[in-house]
Amino acid sequence: MTICLNHYLVVSVLLFALGFFGVLLRKNTLAIYMCLELMLISSTLALVAFSHFNGTLDGNVFVFFVLTIAAAEVAVGLAIIVALYRQRLTVQIEELNELKN
Amino acid sequence: MTPEILRAIADSNQWWAIGPEMILGAAALALLVLEILLPKEHHRFIPTAAIVAQAVTLLGTLINFQTAWLGQETFAGMLRHTVYGQVARVFFLVSSLLVSFLATVCLPRTRMPRIEFYHLVMVVTAAMMLLAQSNNFVMLFVALETITIGFYILVSYFRDNPLSLEAGLKYLVMGALSSAILLFGIVLLYGAVGKVAVAGQTHTGLEFPILADFLRANPDNFVATVGTLLVLAGIAFKIGAFPFQIWIPDVYQGAPTPVTAFLAVSSKSAGIAVLLILVHGPLAALQPLLGPVLIAAAAATILFGNLAALTQRNAKRLMGLSGVSHAGYLLLGVAASLTVSWAIGAVWFYLTTYLLAAMAVFGVMAHLAGKDDADQELEGYDHLAKDSPLLAGVLAVGVGSLAGIPPLAGFVGKLLLFVAAFQARLYWLLAVAIVGVVISIYYYFGWIKTAWFETWRLPGAAESPGAHPPSTEPTLAGRLTLGLLALATVLLGFFQGPLGAWLQR
Repeated sequence: MTICLNHYLVVSVLLFALGFFGVLLRKNTLAIYMCLELMLISSTLALVAFSHFNGTLDGNVFVFFVLTIAAAEVAVGLAIIVALYRQRLTVQIEELNELKN
Repeated sequence: MTPEILRAIADSNQWWAIGPEMILGAAALALLVLEILLPKEHHRFIPTAAIVAQAVTLLGTLINFQTAWLGQETFAGMLRHTVYGQVARVFFLVSSLLVSFLATVCLPRTRMPRIEFYHLVMVVTAAMMLLAQSNNFVMLFVALETITIGFYILVSYFRDNPLSLEAGLKYLVMGALSSAILLFGIVLLYGAVGKVAVAGQTHTGLEFPILADFLRANPDNFVATVGTLLVLAGIAFKIGAFPFQIWIPDVYQGAPTPVTAFLAVSSKSAGIAVLLILVHGPLAALQPLLGPVLIAAAAATILFGNLAALTQRNAKRLMGLSGVSHAGYLLLGVAASLTVSWAIGAVWFYLTTYLLAAMAVFGVMAHLAGKDDADQELEGYDHLAKDSPLLAGVLAVGVGSLAGIPPLAGFVGKLLLFVAAFQARLYWLLAVAIVGVVISIYYYFGWIKTAWFETWRLPGAAESPGAHPPSTEPTLAGRLTLGLLALATVLLGFFQGPLGAWLQR
């Protein structure tokens, strides 16, 4: 069996769905954060697959931009999580609900 | 390098096309350098320098409004300069100037570093200006992420306040989720288009004109349709449209007041600007799909925003949820613009009136806020008319304009949008919008009533616990700014001629 574009896409969509439902269902902020990264990475997988099978390089170049952005997002996001942990001593999402009327 | 290559580089010198963004970015970096070089006692001049730099950029953009680049693509098709791009530049610069003014009121109350705040506001504004002119999905995504990541830091700026951090975390999760959805949509569009050869050069679906051609030829492509819907969902998150508005009240309440204003005005406008670019550019061929989606989103957003705002007792949450309903009116304008071309001008006019009114209201909130920035209950507005007639007057004008009371600018903005919707035959949506306006008058007037009229209490009962005089008396510059905002809101209600003509050019 040769691996074609659709195989890559199925894997990519599965990973994306995994990340999406992880964000919705997980209770630990760090796990949610990993799921968010999983969604971004699954997009880059699809991007590279499309780029390879369509024979264009733009997708490969776009991946570098996405990776840079993901790195910036992780840097800022982990800083916020660490600062929050210092204040509250927890990163469980159900305990972070002081903003309610 | 051979001379020919150098000459080619010199001939294609397009950096002046993004002059305002470059100046803003350079000034933002210069602020950080100033902080290191200047002795500590002179640091208080740096916010003034930031405001002057933004004012100079605004002036330069206004003078050079009819730039030679209009209608052209620059940077190998990354950007496309249009009149609406110029309008967006001016809009975002005015907004960032006002946010910087709010920051000079709010930041001295805390022990947080100040310079970085202005730096971030300027960088984010530059990214918004680029976003409103983008012509390529790579440009769009990078600009949008620069905005979003800047906002993560701004929302959680008061890092000794758990509420601000919690709001930052919620914005982080929701923002990253929406970015990932948007990115997956872009990838699907890119994949659906594949490889396109035009005049011997290879092009891809990341470029807006190529995508527009592809969708015109294959409007029923399944992958492209899914991609379009995902892109729209990602943008709906950013502007807070139903059903992606869940983050709005919490984030608006926890964020520092200047950031709340920045989110409400600039971030929402950036989302609307990019939506306008997309539905009139690359996605124009998908109108049969876009129309119903936009109409349904607009109706649900208007109803949800107004109904949810009814029960709010916190001024910032109220502004957030009523902002959701304003996003709904704007979506109505976008839906109308699919068939009525002058509706784009009406949308920008509405955004301008929203900018003036919302900034006036946030300006009053910034002066009233106590030690805890998230705690701004409506009870705190008791006796405001007695304690500070100026602030109460500005509040009444701003809130009245948001509600759309006839002589004020907000009324004309809503009227233009509704006329556009009428011409586009969106009668049901129009009915929903009018019901929404009626509902909104209730909670907006409750707010004005708290500020202006005595609440009847049992004789001898204790004073309302929340009432307190303004924690920061407005300075002369503050009085002038707030007065100008209120004056502009009143004047724009009577004489919208020049601005309306300017927007429709």
